[in-house]
Amino acid sequence: MAAAREPHEPEKKSFKLLGILDVENIPCARESILYGSLGSVVAGLGHFLVTSRIRRSCDVGVGGFMLVTLGCWFHCRYNFAKQRIQERIAREGIKNKILYESTHLDPERKTASSNSS
Amino acid sequence: MAYPSQLGLQDATSPIMEELMNFHDHTLMIVFLISSLVLYIITLMLTTKLTHTSTMDAQEVETIWTILPAVILILIALPSLRILYMMDEINNPIITVKTMGHQWYWSYEYTDYEDLCFDSYMIPTNDLKPGDLRLLEVDNRMVLPMELPIRMLISSEDVLHSWAVPSLGLKTDAIPGRLNQATISSNRPGLFYGQCSEICGSNHSFMPIVLEMVPMKCFETWSVSMI
Repeated sequence: MAAAREPHEPEKKSFKLLGILDVENIPCARESILYGSLGSVVAGLGHFLVTSRIRRSCDVGVGGFMLVTLGCWFHCRYNFAKQRIQERIAREGIKNKILYESTHLDPERKTASSNSS
Repeated sequence: MAYPSQLGLQDATSPIMEELMNFHDHTLMIVFLISSLVLYIITLMLTTKLTHTSTMDAQEVETIWTILPAVILILIALPSLRILYMMDEINNPIITVKTMGHQWYWSYEYTDYEDLCFDSYMIPTNDLKPGDLRLLEVDNRMVLPMELPIRMLISSEDVLHSWAVPSLGLKTDAIPGRLNQATISSNRPGLFYGQCSEICGSNHSFMPIVLEMVPMKCFETWSVSMI
């Protein structure tokens, strides 16, 4: 995923959580883990303040981390996928506009004629 | 191409590879969460003083650890099947190129219009020019037009080989007596490297694949010059 480096640039290893999850380069990973950590702290601390049970609060914290991370992950990836589709449509639209401008295949001409009819 | 000490996937060059990378990220997140949970449970096991010598059953936890893995597997299987069927979609390729595996080189045939056939041997290390990539450069690259679907027919003349180009998300076995089909569609121009991916003898590591994706005009110029 890295571009070729210049000789004078130092080698930069990407940080991987548990040695597998590259949070720097995977879209939405960093936000999900950070929100998950926040959710874990809030849930665990809140449970402890209510019940004063340490072990159970740790369990709630871990469970909160997993749920919040998963929730943020799916939400962010869904929006990311929608954005990519919109970018692709826009890119194709720009390409078609440039290619077909002033020809009979011009998309704007087709839209204008369908509006007038 | 790959860079030294690389662990992750190469940059995607085709829409299928982009989908595969998204699926990989999705599955990796699930694997990361499961690993975190297991690590936490191991820590709990090692630090507890509690013992239950009279446990007879544990209905609730048994239900949870039956249902939850089934749900996780469904969450992984659905996108996986989606991509599997996406790879087999009909896409009206503009040309068909045949590649035959030999010991130890690839040969390419562009026979749709004229008879264009050539062999692609690895350039030995001693003959490399400065800046060339060791064990990856070839004497004749496979040149193809970019942003168009191309059908690849892959087979072998002798033993099993496998034609693989990681950045396009392609790996197809070359089996003698069988034609396997793959579809190439590149989003951008450039050079894309791959290596034989099925053990085929002493020089199995020394029969690379190099794809040169170029605009259509350049492809037409190249094919005319090769005939």
